[in-house]
Amino acid sequence: MASTTAGLPVTTTRPRSNAVWTWVRRNKTIVGGSLILLALLAIALLAPWLAGDPLQFEPTNRLKRPSDQFWFGTDQFGRDVYSRVIYGTRISLIIGFSVAVVATFIGLVIGVLCGFYKAVDAVMMRVMDGMMAIPAILLAIALITLMKASLMIVVIAIAIPEIPRVARLVRSVVLSVRSRPYIEAAISSGTRNGRIMVRHILPNTVAPLIVQATYVCASAILTEAGLSFLGAGTPPEIPSWGNVISLGRTFFQIAPWIIFFPGILLAITVLAINLVGDGLRDSLDPRISRRM
Amino acid sequence: MTAYILRRLIATIPVMIVVALFVFFLLHLTPGDPAAVIAGDDASPAEIEGIRRKLGLDRPVWEQFGVYIWNLLHGDLGTSIFSNLPVMTLVKQRLEPSLVLAVATLVVAVAFAIPMGVVAAWKADTTIDRVVMGFSVLGFAVPVFLVGYLLIYVFAIQLRWLPVQGYRPLSEGIVGTLRSIALPAFALGMAYMALIARITRASMLEVLSEDYIRTAHAKGVATRSVLLRHALKNAAVPIVTVIGIGLALLISGVVITETVFNIPGLGRLTVDAILKRDYPIIQGLIILFAGAKVLVNLLIDISYTFFDPRIRQ
Amino acid sequence: MTMATTVPAESTATSKAGQSDTILSVRDLRTQFFTRDGVVRAVDGISFDLNRGETLCIVGESGCGKSVTALSIMGLIPQRAGRIVGGTINFEGTELTTQTEAEMRKIRGNRISMIFQEPMTSLNPVLTVGAQIAESLSIHQGLDRRAARDRAIDMLALVRIADPKRRAGEYPHQLSGGMRQRVMIAIALACNPQVLVADEPTTALDVTIQAQILNLMLELKDRLGTAIILITHDLGVVAETAQRVIVMYAGRTVEEAPVEELLRNPKHPYTRGLIGSIPRRRTAAQRGRPRTRLQEITGLVPSLREEIPGCAFAPRCGFAVERCQLERPTLDIHGASHRAACWEVARVTAVPQ
Repeated sequence: MASTTAGLPVTTTRPRSNAVWTWVRRNKTIVGGSLILLALLAIALLAPWLAGDPLQFEPTNRLKRPSDQFWFGTDQFGRDVYSRVIYGTRISLIIGFSVAVVATFIGLVIGVLCGFYKAVDAVMMRVMDGMMAIPAILLAIALITLMKASLMIVVIAIAIPEIPRVARLVRSVVLSVRSRPYIEAAISSGTRNGRIMVRHILPNTVAPLIVQATYVCASAILTEAGLSFLGAGTPPEIPSWGNVISLGRTFFQIAPWIIFFPGILLAITVLAINLVGDGLRDSLDPRISRRM
Repeated sequence: MTAYILRRLIATIPVMIVVALFVFFLLHLTPGDPAAVIAGDDASPAEIEGIRRKLGLDRPVWEQFGVYIWNLLHGDLGTSIFSNLPVMTLVKQRLEPSLVLAVATLVVAVAFAIPMGVVAAWKADTTIDRVVMGFSVLGFAVPVFLVGYLLIYVFAIQLRWLPVQGYRPLSEGIVGTLRSIALPAFALGMAYMALIARITRASMLEVLSEDYIRTAHAKGVATRSVLLRHALKNAAVPIVTVIGIGLALLISGVVITETVFNIPGLGRLTVDAILKRDYPIIQGLIILFAGAKVLVNLLIDISYTFFDPRIRQ
Repeated sequence: MTMATTVPAESTATSKAGQSDTILSVRDLRTQFFTRDGVVRAVDGISFDLNRGETLCIVGESGCGKSVTALSIMGLIPQRAGRIVGGTINFEGTELTTQTEAEMRKIRGNRISMIFQEPMTSLNPVLTVGAQIAESLSIHQGLDRRAARDRAIDMLALVRIADPKRRAGEYPHQLSGGMRQRVMIAIALACNPQVLVADEPTTALDVTIQAQILNLMLELKDRLGTAIILITHDLGVVAETAQRVIVMYAGRTVEEAPVEELLRNPKHPYTRGLIGSIPRRRTAAQRGRPRTRLQEITGLVPSLREEIPGCAFAPRCGFAVERCQLERPTLDIHGASHRAACWEVARVTAVPQ
């Protein structure tokens, strides 16, 4: 290679690893967010080895400050906040992931049907408008009030208000793809709806759906914490971050660590997911990337 | 323009009908016996029967539906199972703090976010821009209660500038009210601010690349006036839309914020209703909040005509 | 990175006309854009003078640097994207390239104005046209609201918009393209500028409207004594409006002459190509003879990302010799106030057009 060009840095790296590095450099947010998420996933999986028993009462150790023995201090029952927070990672990740899958799947089905059948569209979009008018947290609270608390009910209650957003997104993609000349040609020449859906429409929904799913996941984790904080979420015996924080309310002034540690972990988790979402959106949709 | 407003107004009717239907069928389509769930695990059959009667579940569904809709049309949101007071009465008692909190949050968020977004767009790709964008990413991620407790810890417990918790009604003087609402408004406003700052920046960036902005520069218009007079008004429609969307998020946030700051508003009413599983209250609040949201959206739609002359026709 | 690039000697390009006659003097202007893929030399050493009350046309294909030249004069090169890297722009004794943004703002829209190509998007959609005209007046002449508004209505009448009082209260979307361009002219001329830069002002308009707008501009120019730099790719427009013409290619001037002289007696191969590519009606004498084919200029415009050591047109030029590839031609005088940047003018002009 000509290295005589004065002033220009000469790269000696091999082309392939160079391409990887370029990708990493251009997608810092995805890489950063994913690394944090991987770490959280590892914490969730390795919880039994990383932490002690999150449920063990130790009345003599009530409201202890963070120390060598109790890294994040203890709560009013003398339970180790560190262990509870570590185990809480599991709950948050499970809820975030489950809600994202459930809401995305149902939203996808409704959205595709709306995009294809005018009658379904007319009815479903009115229903979606109505659902979107109801504040998500209240809708979830109503569902939880009427049913026996369990992790599954929480997932369903959080997923339902997220469905309209996904459905609308899918519907708009379907409609815009449908109006493209080659799809109109396919429809007018009698290609079956199912085939058009699988061949042309579904592939176009994948990218926006993945982005949307990350946002649903982040929002679900926040909502679960909020619901548990209000006492309308995950059953109190399960150590979720929201439950830990909820218990810390009463003793906030003397034992702020009960709230801060799970709160910070919660913020980091949501931040990581949002970073991945933003990064994906930017790299999947170059039109918006320069704007947002 | 009247036709436009009328059209928007009519469009709200089906939305409210769906909300009403949804809430009604939520109670009836829920698997299991809601009366038994509400009564709790150690309730006697007689107690469960009492709650069933209070919810009207003992009557035929069509009759329940008729009564429910009839009452709704008369502004009757139902009656609390436990206090036997009309939900409307309970709401009126708790309305002021929530309304003050919501308005204060809106003002705080808009007042900070729009200048942030405008400056970030104007100085795009500089340090200021990155700080604003960093804040907006962070603001989305940090939960309301964490911000709330941090603010209490720093400004009330450590610095002792503001009261820790509680609410002073307007009747006891506005200064007290503002002092009691300042931290809650900032805590609740953080995510909202992040949202508005972000959309303001994006919308301004788009507008600043328009030809008419170049025309304004070519006319010798000062930068400040280019940004505020020429660009911001053009960027307003998406910003106002997001302010409206955000207001809905705010409603959810109010419940949590009131719990953090011990404010006796609608949020407290909600939490009390959760603890007692007082479904009629939650049902009434849903309709009320949904109505508020629909009203806000209507106002937003109407405000478009102020920003964009093209919608006026 | 050869340092041997020949820069056209400044003196050859300078008009020796009396100082008072020249209102705007551009010397060796270089404007570059800095992209991820490298430097784009959009304007690469342009020099010209504009006399008072004169109409000077700048002609060239899209991407040749005409518009960037205009934006450079206005000080409107987007700050982060590009920059004037060399040369001077002297306006009535003031050096524009070293003015601060605040100083430029006092000149823009006041003493030098600009009209853009796209009347549909160049007006602010949320402000009334009256307010947009009045704005210039209140900024530069300190008129109060009332007075500025009255003057704005006068300006609308001046650009021959019917019922100016009503129109002043309307928004751009209520006006046709032709009317919007009239409004742009009204904005540009509101403060009686000495120089009007018009960047393809009629390109986006209907053919029937184009002549109206051009005539309006010329008429107002005569009435107000404004000098015009008219940027166009349309030699028809040039023939009808210009006194002098500059032909640009790849960011450089290739030829400069009075309009009659340039059209009748082009000396640069590129100019000849441009003129040859216009469809023309055959004269009576030509009838009966075989039709001459419409000429086209073969090849592509060179990339402005690479430095071109010789003549930028050489790769597409039928007359090019080795020197053309290596040495940048100077803008030399060939006849009365006729300049061309070509090493082979003698050979080129020997061939009949």
